[in-house]
Amino acid sequence: MEKNCLKSKVWISVLALLVAMPIFVVAASWLFPERELWAHFYAILLPNLISATLILLIGVGVGVTFLGTILAYLVVMVEFPGRQWLEWALFLPFAVPAYVLAFVYLGVFDYSGYVQVWMREVLGLSGFDIRTGSWAIILTFVLVFYPYVYMMTRASFKRQKVNIIEAGRLLGTGPLRTFLKISLPLARPAAAAGLLVTLMEILADFGVVSLFNFDTFTTAIYSAWGDFRSIEVAAQLASLLVLVAFFLIYFEKKARGQAKYYSNDVANKKPYRAFGVMGWLISIFIFSVFMLAFAMPMLQLIIWGWTYSGKEWSVKYIDLIISTLILTVSATLITVSIATILALPNHCKKNSSWLKSVINIATLGYALPGSIMAVGLLYGINQLSAVSIYFGGQSINQVIFGSISLLLFAYISRFMAIGYNSIKASAEQIKPMFTQSARLLGVSRLRLIWQIYLPMMTPGILAGGLLVAVDVIKELPATYLLRPFGWDTLAIQVYELSAEGLFERAAIPALIMVLFGSVLMIIFQYLDKKS
Amino acid sequence: MNIKIWILSALVVLVLVVTSVAIARERSEDLVTVYSSRKEHLIKPLFESFTKDTGIQVTYLTGKGGALIERLKLEGKNTNADMFMTVDAGNLWYAATQDLFQAVQTQTLENNIPSHLRDSKGLWTGLSVRARTIVYSTERVNPVDLSTYENLADMKWAGRLCLRTSKKIYTKSLVASMIYHHGINKTGDIISGWVNNLAATPNAKDSHIMNAIVSGQCDIGLINTYYFARLITKNPNVPLKLFWANQDTTGVHVNISGAGVTKYATNVKGAIKLLEWLSSTKAQAIYASLNKEYPANQNVASDEVVSSWGSFKQDKMNLEQTGILQADAVRLMQTKGYR
Repeated sequence: MEKNCLKSKVWISVLALLVAMPIFVVAASWLFPERELWAHFYAILLPNLISATLILLIGVGVGVTFLGTILAYLVVMVEFPGRQWLEWALFLPFAVPAYVLAFVYLGVFDYSGYVQVWMREVLGLSGFDIRTGSWAIILTFVLVFYPYVYMMTRASFKRQKVNIIEAGRLLGTGPLRTFLKISLPLARPAAAAGLLVTLMEILADFGVVSLFNFDTFTTAIYSAWGDFRSIEVAAQLASLLVLVAFFLIYFEKKARGQAKYYSNDVANKKPYRAFGVMGWLISIFIFSVFMLAFAMPMLQLIIWGWTYSGKEWSVKYIDLIISTLILTVSATLITVSIATILALPNHCKKNSSWLKSVINIATLGYALPGSIMAVGLLYGINQLSAVSIYFGGQSINQVIFGSISLLLFAYISRFMAIGYNSIKASAEQIKPMFTQSARLLGVSRLRLIWQIYLPMMTPGILAGGLLVAVDVIKELPATYLLRPFGWDTLAIQVYELSAEGLFERAAIPALIMVLFGSVLMIIFQYLDKKS
Repeated sequence: MNIKIWILSALVVLVLVVTSVAIARERSEDLVTVYSSRKEHLIKPLFESFTKDTGIQVTYLTGKGGALIERLKLEGKNTNADMFMTVDAGNLWYAATQDLFQAVQTQTLENNIPSHLRDSKGLWTGLSVRARTIVYSTERVNPVDLSTYENLADMKWAGRLCLRTSKKIYTKSLVASMIYHHGINKTGDIISGWVNNLAATPNAKDSHIMNAIVSGQCDIGLINTYYFARLITKNPNVPLKLFWANQDTTGVHVNISGAGVTKYATNVKGAIKLLEWLSSTKAQAIYASLNKEYPANQNVASDEVVSSWGSFKQDKMNLEQTGILQADAVRLMQTKGYR
């Protein structure tokens, strides 16, 4: 037994540490202290940036938790007009990249956008700058990231539905009290898991905050790199983000029981019925969330793109689409395979805090801004090359820089958290009983994995895979820096056109991107229903 | 069933990784490789035309300036890049200080590009000139009130000014030029004045500044002229006009986009040929019409729309200074609360 554990410990550690390699490289930047620049940052930038980041984290955190949980509760527990299609429509906003949504919102709702023009000209109200203060950017983030919490809590409500109704009946409570007293506490672990992912996304975001010119911690990272040309200080600052993420994971572990992205629906009947006006009010509320987060931005993109579709569309797009798809498929398959290996039930893991922490470290990359992770990888590979040359081998740079392997590495490190969390939740469903009885029957571990674990983990694996895929499609900074020649993606095309102010043309690749993401979300829905 | 899917997936991954690793680098006399922070739609037509003229193929990789410099540094001798092309003199200067370029001095380049737009050692060459100046609302501003960048700090513009974020390199270079002319202290006061006069949080993009002025959020702003050219071509009746700043003093702040041959280029000959071709009248005319910038080659006329704004006095400060002073400029703006 002991010997067995040593072997699997080594295997899992090597795999997890490899995934976490960029994080270690980034942390190693502390070997090169730069006091003078830190003094400037410490005195001038950091106090404001840290408080602004906290405001954003708290505001968005509270927002997504409430919105996501309430939407999930309504959709699972209450019958109202249009429930069936709204339940799946609420997944779609996940396919919209945050920077695209921010972009559309600024165009539509800022001072010069037509909503405010109409308010001034027709209603006679005075205009305002939506980038002042933090409410508009918080709202934008909430509408982009609520699907994480929605997905998790929805699955959790579905699993508990029958119990909740029974408990509610016994206590004689109505839907609102059942929600507050029973459902909400039960959904807490699921909400916490969704919240964790959201907070990590916000810590790493640069696109939305720079469009709003809202200074957060990432602003300091990019200032160190872009303004003061110090990649070292940038990496040092970024490693602090990773530290914050580490604490967040710790707190989430405390709050978490089992949370899953996918559901096992127990019974398809809705327990509460909302009739008449109440039912319609609920429909209108949910529909407006869908409108704001998905339908309206898509419509705006179509309007922008319409007149330019002939000019912008070319054969080149076939290339962009193929590159995007190849990168997405391969990154997803590898990420999911590694995540599955890390998540497989393993008796060695249970008693080893070493293994648990190593695996946690492998999921921290989600909190690193993509470009910092990319540079970390470049440095790491360069060091490996140096080692290889030292021992009389060849430089591996040439092979690696010219291929997509480096980029795939970046995706795997960055999105491991998304895949792993989903798969682990399904692995935790497997009762130790199975393993024990199988062992008693003398079944080999390989067969156990093949015939019991993997089939039982399939829903989690599929859910994790689809979420990773949507994230890869949207990824910009790491792709922009690490791709080899001829591997431009749709996200890059969106960036290049919008950076030059050609928003109408940028709308076209953005729409294609959202279309692919939406298709994936619909597949996700379909599989979810089937399981 | 599930197991089959798994085996299939594993196979697909294997094939993809192996093929991607196996892609070997092509190197030949007929191929020049460019790393560019100029966007694809601006360089592609140029390169296609070059290939048609010379038969030399060009491959390129676009990216952000700072990131590409980092990539070049790390790739070192193994780099694919024969040429590095970027915007802003500060970026070119920085790439030069990182020893990424090799010196190129040819008669053609000397004839085509004036010396103040080239590096003194021939490490990089400016290929287009962009001017950053004042744009104002023709409905609410009397041009008589306009004079200099410095004057925008005056109380009379309180609540009427829109600026681009201090994070953008165009702002950094402009402020660097002001530090060069006035020193840190006086520039600091001017920036404080700007910040006090702001009508809105500094904008992420020049086009947002123009939208804000048209919609009445502010009355004046600072922009690169080619953004204005694009807007006026699309909407000739837009109530905005350009004003040439600092004509009685230092002149309009100009910057460049440019390129240099990389230190470890494998096709040096091809890269030089491309650089010379880019400075030629034919290429410079494409530059001028494609992005409505000012050609670096003085024998080439600017685009029709652009020349309709008339000529102006340029700030003749040595462009290296923008690179040297940029970090000071950022520090100053951050201290004064210019976001």
